[in-house]
Amino acid sequence: MAKPVSVFLTIFMLLLAAPYQSAFAAMIGTETVLDVARGQGARDYLNRVLAREDVQAELIAHGIDPLEAKARVDSLSDAEVVCLARQIEQLPAGGGAFGVLVGAAVVVFIVLLVTDIAGYTDVFPFVKSRDDRQKK
Amino acid sequence: MIARRNSSGSEFERRRCGICLTGPVILLLIVNLMLGGCGVLHRQWPQPDEHLPARHELDSVPFYSQKAFQCGPAALAMALRWSGISADTNTLAPEVFTPSRKGSLQLAMIGAARRHGRIAYPVFGPDAMLEEVSAGHPVIVLQNLGLSWHPVWHYAVVIGYDLNQGDVILHSGVTRRKRLSLRVFENTWARSDHWGLLVLPPTRLPATVTEHAYVSAVLGLEKASQWRGAVKGYCTALARWPDNLYARIGLGNSYYALGDKESAEAAFREATRRSPTNGSAFNNLAQVLWEQGKQQDALEAARMAVKLGGPLVNVYRKTLEEIQAGKP
Repeated sequence: MAKPVSVFLTIFMLLLAAPYQSAFAAMIGTETVLDVARGQGARDYLNRVLAREDVQAELIAHGIDPLEAKARVDSLSDAEVVCLARQIEQLPAGGGAFGVLVGAAVVVFIVLLVTDIAGYTDVFPFVKSRDDRQKK
Repeated sequence: MIARRNSSGSEFERRRCGICLTGPVILLLIVNLMLGGCGVLHRQWPQPDEHLPARHELDSVPFYSQKAFQCGPAALAMALRWSGISADTNTLAPEVFTPSRKGSLQLAMIGAARRHGRIAYPVFGPDAMLEEVSAGHPVIVLQNLGLSWHPVWHYAVVIGYDLNQGDVILHSGVTRRKRLSLRVFENTWARSDHWGLLVLPPTRLPATVTEHAYVSAVLGLEKASQWRGAVKGYCTALARWPDNLYARIGLGNSYYALGDKESAEAAFREATRRSPTNGSAFNNLAQVLWEQGKQQDALEAARMAVKLGGPLVNVYRKTLEEIQAGKP
């Protein structure tokens, strides 16, 4: 009968495969390497935008501490940061190329982001306000 | 209104196509032209210049007539056949066709091309499409032959164009070498945001290629477990962009998945040489060295990964610990 043989073979192959599976866990996939780089790139981009004098001046004019704005951006996850950076880049004012005058649109965007987090507004679906966080 | 999609195409809608609706479609198109003022081209089509010949037609794209609603499998079969893969509409239908929607999703088309070891590379807009055709690459296009509020989605394959006559030439539905005026084509194609798809052998770069988009497209082959295709694709990418770290790591990972640890080691070693600040390249190098019994070299690479740190440093530490524990 073939059955016991096939059962034995299955178990044997599982035993063979097991160490390789655990070994594979330590290999870092191409996609992970790409995602990490993308997250870091988006974070760098947002920090550069926030560090700009005109953006900071505009934030202060709206009564927002630039350090507080940065702290709030820092607390976003990689996925959220990538989403935010992409949205800023797609703004009509055209801030994709750093160094181009991004203009008031980015500032309005960041103001809305910050006020979203503070719970005054609810524009961006990925932002959880402080109140929402406390509820959890 | 047609649902908007972002340029990366992440939110794909369901598409359908209806070959049996030719009559109503023509009627709808006439109504559309009368209603919407669509007789005017929405955009300027490119003019011929030294890079873009005025007319070009590919004669190497086979034609498959479609059955009802099966424009997706038919278009894909034509593109795959052109790229050297023997595929026909019947075998492709289960891979892309969604019976309940009587159509094929764009993502399913992309996924099926990858499962056959081909690079699926989206292209957007008339300029890119014409450039690809003039470079000898057929382009699958998604058209809405109906109206925005009464869509009749349809896949066709652009095999040529004639800018002097103002025509594109398509393998479409049951018609081989269908000539369609740029104006009508533009009106029907604009409703998919000018979505087009290249299906290429992994040894061939798109004419309008960009580095990141191509490497991402090769990564798609990895996701489909098409490791040999991925190896070829990454090699193609590295021939053009030798310093692309992700292609280098992807090459190593694909060799590793094929069980070719020596080639994987070489790829990772080159990655660490060209990008000496990336911990992941050192981590993967350490792992593949260790599995080949080269413990001392593996330890060095793993220590380097941990030293470089980064968001994945915990994985690097685990690799180092396992190597230090010394059980290859």
